[in-house]
Amino acid sequence: MAVPTPRPARAMEPLAASRRPGFDLRAVLQTSQTARALAALVVLLVYNVLFTTNFVSLGTFNANLTQVATIVIVAVGMTFVIATGGVDLSVGSLMAVSGVLAPLFLVSGGQFGAPWVGLVLAFTVPVAVTALFGLFNGTLVTKVGLQPIIATLVLFLAGRGIAQVIVNGELREFRNLGSPLVPGFEFIGLGGIAGVRFQILIMAVVVAVAAWALRATVFGRYVLATGGNEAASRLAGVPIQKVKLTVYTISGLLAGIAGLIVVAINRSSDPHRVGELMELDAIAAVAVGGTPLSGGRATILGTLLGALIIQLLRFTLISHNISDGVARIVIAAVIVVAVLLQRQRTS
Amino acid sequence: MSRILTRRSVLRLSAAGTGLFVAGRYFTGTTFAAPPPLEQQDTYTIGFAQTDLNNPWRIAESKSMQDEAAARGYTLVETNANEDTAKQIADVKSLIAQGVDILIFPPRESQALAPVVMEAKAAGIPVILIDRDVDHSIAAPGEDYVTFIGSDFIDQGRRAAEWLAEATGGEARIIQLEGTTGADPAIDRQQGFEDYLAGMVQGSPTPDGPIAGMEIIASQTGNFTRDQGREVMQTLLQANPDVTAVYAHNDEMAIGAIAALQEAGRAPGEDVTLVSIDGSNAALDAIVDGTLGATVESSPFFGPIAFATMDQYIAGEEIPDWVKVEDRFFDESNAAEFQGTQY
Repeated sequence: MAVPTPRPARAMEPLAASRRPGFDLRAVLQTSQTARALAALVVLLVYNVLFTTNFVSLGTFNANLTQVATIVIVAVGMTFVIATGGVDLSVGSLMAVSGVLAPLFLVSGGQFGAPWVGLVLAFTVPVAVTALFGLFNGTLVTKVGLQPIIATLVLFLAGRGIAQVIVNGELREFRNLGSPLVPGFEFIGLGGIAGVRFQILIMAVVVAVAAWALRATVFGRYVLATGGNEAASRLAGVPIQKVKLTVYTISGLLAGIAGLIVVAINRSSDPHRVGELMELDAIAAVAVGGTPLSGGRATILGTLLGALIIQLLRFTLISHNISDGVARIVIAAVIVVAVLLQRQRTS
Repeated sequence: MSRILTRRSVLRLSAAGTGLFVAGRYFTGTTFAAPPPLEQQDTYTIGFAQTDLNNPWRIAESKSMQDEAAARGYTLVETNANEDTAKQIADVKSLIAQGVDILIFPPRESQALAPVVMEAKAAGIPVILIDRDVDHSIAAPGEDYVTFIGSDFIDQGRRAAEWLAEATGGEARIIQLEGTTGADPAIDRQQGFEDYLAGMVQGSPTPDGPIAGMEIIASQTGNFTRDQGREVMQTLLQANPDVTAVYAHNDEMAIGAIAALQEAGRAPGEDVTLVSIDGSNAALDAIVDGTLGATVESSPFFGPIAFATMDQYIAGEEIPDWVKVEDRFFDESNAAEFQGTQY
């Protein structure tokens, strides 16, 4: 199966088949960027096993994966956007929008007919709204022709404003909602299946589906083609506008899911704080993972590794009680090294 | 070189002239060793330049000012700088231009806002600062502005430490969740707490001396937020399972820490004692639940004390340079009584 076959010259290949579809672990590991990220993660793991108290424990495992889950979910959407040569600054604000919308449906009585309807709406409406906001981002980029950084800056600013206006700027405590639906809603952040926290499962599903979509579907080919050479792709028949609209919508949708998880974990929704600086965490994870910000190439597995590296680095620094200032410098240094490695490869 | 006065040099000259003029006004201003007086009137227009309305504390502060103004039938002109220092400076200038009777505001930065305090003085408008102070080398209380009204953050830290020492019998392995690095409340609350453990209060030794049994085993910032308080606690808990107490610089981080402890199968309130600062409704709920031990109030309710101080000033009474806010203390003895009355 995995016997490498000699490839025809790239120019001769049809666009949508420039790489063989299907998941191939060896191919994944052979891409040096992913291998480097994996190596860095292993180094960090080994260091912690040797020098961090109680590192090898279920508690540590759960703490790291629950903390990284929302970043990974948002960063996966960001990877698609960056793969098309764009960027989405609005994700943090969209998390706040989703976070304030959910509690509006967690009401006690039968306002929506049956109680479970409220619960379903609490999960679906916020995500649908942020997906629509994502579509709005995409529209600004495609139809209006704004630079992605400016287009998404609009909702970066306005999104948080909308979130604040919806709840009049007030932090909402779930326990004060007095609703029997609250425990059901909190499952997304606090519940678990077979001992594994629910948001870790969401993260795993999102990563698996996205990795498959990017590698093995026509849509995935289109995304990379759009970011690689937009003009050539358009001539080759790639529906550039649809692809861009889709990636921004996906990014908005995933940000919405992450917002629900954050407010469920905290049992409160704070329009000012939910998702704060998330756009930078997500972009950093994508960059450290080896996806070039210029677009055209992307790796979901890399993004997962990038997020895990930054998470584990933070965990290590806090565990060893390193002061905040030093910790920031170390994390910045790691990002610089990652970007330098990336440059070496492209040049 | 034929033209002596270029466009640029004219601009420079006029800028220099303006600077001299402003400087001159400051110097003449400082010759009066008292802030501008405020006449007895039936009603007053108060300029209130809020820094931002981005957290429940600020919202409560604004509401307290609005309620008190409404109760007295005064007009409150409120601006919101949205965490932008330059915007707050512009806001204060425009309130001066509007000719309000008195300015009451929390300066967002101690140095940047000091010059507008001097401008208000030059314009004959008295200023009362609340919650944050300005740099005294530029503007002095009692001379350039009426007074500063605010909590003593160092003393808040001291009160938290004192309660914790008593609650734990002087034996505790403490994790400290710090506020935003570099923020005044974070620096002072850390100092007040750590000084007390080291046997010092306000620079002089306590009768009991250092408390040897109380050790801070880890101290990390949680940025005053519930989410980061929870994550940092989750992480520190792995490396420090022997923790027996948590001191959080605000309630939100303490509530995050409680969630992290419960998640790890610990019993906050029983095997880990928590103390924090702020006195929010959520903290009072947690005290009633038995998870949070105590919280030192850091009152946002500046309306009554600010207007009372203004009354004293109008009446010509002597006002101290720092009017300390009387912060209450909430623990299991009184939390239920005040539940829901805070912010």
